Amino acid sequence: MTARNRELGGVLVAGVIAGTALASVTIARESEISATAVGYGAVFLGLYLAAHIVVRRTAPYADGALLPLTAVLTAFGLALNYRLDPDDGGRQALWVLIGLGVFAATLIALRHDYRVLESYRYLFGVAAVFLLLLPSVPGLGERVNGVKLWVAVGPLQFQPGELAKIFLILFLAGYLREKREVLAQGRLKDFGPLLAIWGAAMLVIVQTNDLGSALLNFGIFLAMLYVATGKALFVAAGLALFVGGAALLYNAIDRVHERVTIWLQPWTDERVICALNGKLEFRQDCASYQLVKSLYSIANGGFGGTGLGEGTFTSTDGTQLIPALGTDFIYSAIAQELGLIGAAALLLCYMVFVARGMRIALRAQDGFSKLLAAGLTFGFALQTFVIVGGVLRIVPLTGITLPFVSYGGTSIVANFLLLAGLLLVSNRANSPR
Amino acid sequence: MTLLALAADETLLILKIVFLVLLYGFILLVVRSATKDIGGAPQESIILGAGEAAVLREKLGVRPRSRRFRVLGGPGLRSGKTVDIVSATIIGREDDVGIRLDGDEFASGQHARFEPRADGIWVEDLQSTNGTFVNGERVTAQRLQAGDVVRIGQTELRLES
Repeated sequence: MTARNRELGGVLVAGVIAGTALASVTIARESEISATAVGYGAVFLGLYLAAHIVVRRTAPYADGALLPLTAVLTAFGLALNYRLDPDDGGRQALWVLIGLGVFAATLIALRHDYRVLESYRYLFGVAAVFLLLLPSVPGLGERVNGVKLWVAVGPLQFQPGELAKIFLILFLAGYLREKREVLAQGRLKDFGPLLAIWGAAMLVIVQTNDLGSALLNFGIFLAMLYVATGKALFVAAGLALFVGGAALLYNAIDRVHERVTIWLQPWTDERVICALNGKLEFRQDCASYQLVKSLYSIANGGFGGTGLGEGTFTSTDGTQLIPALGTDFIYSAIAQELGLIGAAALLLCYMVFVARGMRIALRAQDGFSKLLAAGLTFGFALQTFVIVGGVLRIVPLTGITLPFVSYGGTSIVANFLLLAGLLLVSNRANSPR
Repeated sequence: MTLLALAADETLLILKIVFLVLLYGFILLVVRSATKDIGGAPQESIILGAGEAAVLREKLGVRPRSRRFRVLGGPGLRSGKTVDIVSATIIGREDDVGIRLDGDEFASGQHARFEPRADGIWVEDLQSTNGTFVNGERVTAQRLQAGDVVRIGQTELRLES
């Protein structure tokens, strides 16, 4: 069986999975069995079949597992967002449509040779820095929950950081391929760029308070540096720099301090000063309210979950218990409604995606493709780890999106770009020469 | 109305089970089909592309030690003859391969590849019909030790030290 037929089979199964999930949430909402969900499932399947046909025509030798896995992940996202807020679900569906459009356009535009991107590496580097700093521009940036992440142009809002991640990977793939032999010799003067990027990562933290994407981008940088040079010492040095920088920031910036405190001690026995209203409160009622309620939500799911559409996310008077449930905390909604067994399946999907991506990196024949595939895959994996680990209190919580599942347009589109990149690399690596 | 609500509850339970079964079935499907295409020798390094390793070696003047095989027997090659492997070489029955096994009916057109690497010489089966054997065991890819006997079709080669 060819990769494309395996992909077709996978997409068909994914369509049924999406239909089942959507039927569950619709029935739970309306307390009666209706045919609307079947319609949604059919549209979903149709969209992914169209994407499959585009892949068949433009990247016939590409990996056959990634598109079906993406379909299942977006099915999780659509079902959960529709369940939490039907309006958000509708908008999310629109973003998946746009994302698939961008995905198809990327495949068609780069079907001959994506490696032309290597010659625009510095352009991508400048664009990444520009995008990262864009939210700090007065009049453009919007502060949401104390973090400058958003850019508003009229009614349109977008999160430039998500796109910056992809551009940064493209830049690093081109730059490190060019310089890796020099870097591997380990002379200090060649490490100017490393220190510059480390400085930039720290600057971004200070500027935007956005710990999540600083961690993500620096992690991607270290992983790609390792893939390019094969020197574990560089990774150790980079991590030491990061830890040192983070320790400085822990004392210098209140927000970093607060995040670590919430992570280590979400519950207090005595009332402490609440920074939000200046009164004495238990920490679980103030700073760590969101995290603690999310932990209760996960615990409520138990092993088998409450069932899709049957979880508890609002208190008796109808107010929402967990702020940012559809974006940062969607994992705790999944863990409640589908339980450990469902959340484990979701994480397995991410693991298989990452395993396929690393395999693509192994199979790629040239350094740029190898670095690109490794960087895209590592970015995807680290992002998933940082947000799931944050929600589960393994690492300090930083607000970034769960790829393909969280509500959010820019994130969906950026991840579809990432998927297109991996398919293009694997198509080239697998095509007969 | 109660009846309808009850039906909805039961439907939800069934849907949940169907969803989870399908989901795990899907993961199994993807993982199984993914393991099917694994095979062949591992690449020399995650850091370099397969093609680039050879180019870089050339540039830096590093040459993996060439290795010598002695033909133990077979219809394609004369017994006792030696074969030196300097670079990646394909062995098979076709005309344009590095080592030609003319007349060995059990060898495939492109049967296997010998590749000298930094860590020694590797043999990689190229999905041949009758397989590649090292010391009597069928292999997909393996690093060879001195004295190992490789059987391709009816031809046997021994790696000299």
